[in-house]
Amino acid sequence: MKLPATARTPEVTFEDGSCSIKGECYPEDITEFSAPVMSSLEEGLTNAEHYKVEIELYYFNSSSAKFFYDFFEFLDEQAAGGCKVDVVWRYREDDDTMEEAGEEFEEDLENISFSLESMG
Amino acid sequence: MNNNTIQLHELMLSRGTFFCYAGPLSEDVLTSLSGVVKEQLTETDSTSPITNKVFSIFVEQAQNIIRYSGDRMDKSGVGSVSISASDDGFLIEAVNEIKDGSQERLEGILTDLKNMDAAELKAAYKQRLKSGPPEGSVGAGLGFIEVARRSSRFDFCFETHNNVTLFLYRGWVDTPR
Repeated sequence: MKLPATARTPEVTFEDGSCSIKGECYPEDITEFSAPVMSSLEEGLTNAEHYKVEIELYYFNSSSAKFFYDFFEFLDEQAAGGCKVDVVWRYREDDDTMEEAGEEFEEDLENISFSLESMG
Repeated sequence: MNNNTIQLHELMLSRGTFFCYAGPLSEDVLTSLSGVVKEQLTETDSTSPITNKVFSIFVEQAQNIIRYSGDRMDKSGVGSVSISASDDGFLIEAVNEIKDGSQERLEGILTDLKNMDAAELKAAYKQRLKSGPPEGSVGAGLGFIEVARRSSRFDFCFETHNNVTLFLYRGWVDTPR
């Protein structure tokens, strides 16, 4: 499943065993954006043994921060339940805001393998 | 009238105000304005980490007006947002009417944030993410903390005339020398 990017939402792609979010996120209505993403994520994780997540964000607003927090909390719970979850958080080399945001999410996650990658 | 037009023109140019919108703000209007602001910011000499911070403060201030301005038109909140540039950096400003009785609460929240250092702001941000939005919040309740974190500094004040209280909210993003 692929949700194409809009002016204010990132491209979201779900494939078998993986999910990727790429772009900017400051939707008009966060619930409208997050509901289909969370339900596809739940679906994708059902009976999954290994799940890979790739995030490449350039900007997200404070309302979206809550969505990403819930997104990672859900993944962390799934990882605690036995699914191996790998998250790659990519940021533009000089983007200290997005680098810091990735680090802050990582700090609270206990069961996920979370790696930060600078895109150079 | 001509006089006002020239005054507005000169005022905006003299203070480096390259973007200003005053009137009803809705999410749809913000979508359009965002494109303009981004375009204008890429035209400046500043690097994207700097202009991203400016954009971030602009969005939080605009959404604050959309959601909480005391002066309402349908889904819009009435207010003004502007961005000015100088050699030292950017100034992002917002003005809107507040709802009756909300001044004290806003003053309390913003004064607390103003007294926090970077580590305390980070802790407050994380705490808010965990606990969820406060009562009466439409978003995540993180907007003011976001502005405090992205700005080099911020200030605010309230002005009451004829029973209408205006909330002035300003954030600065310094450019490194």
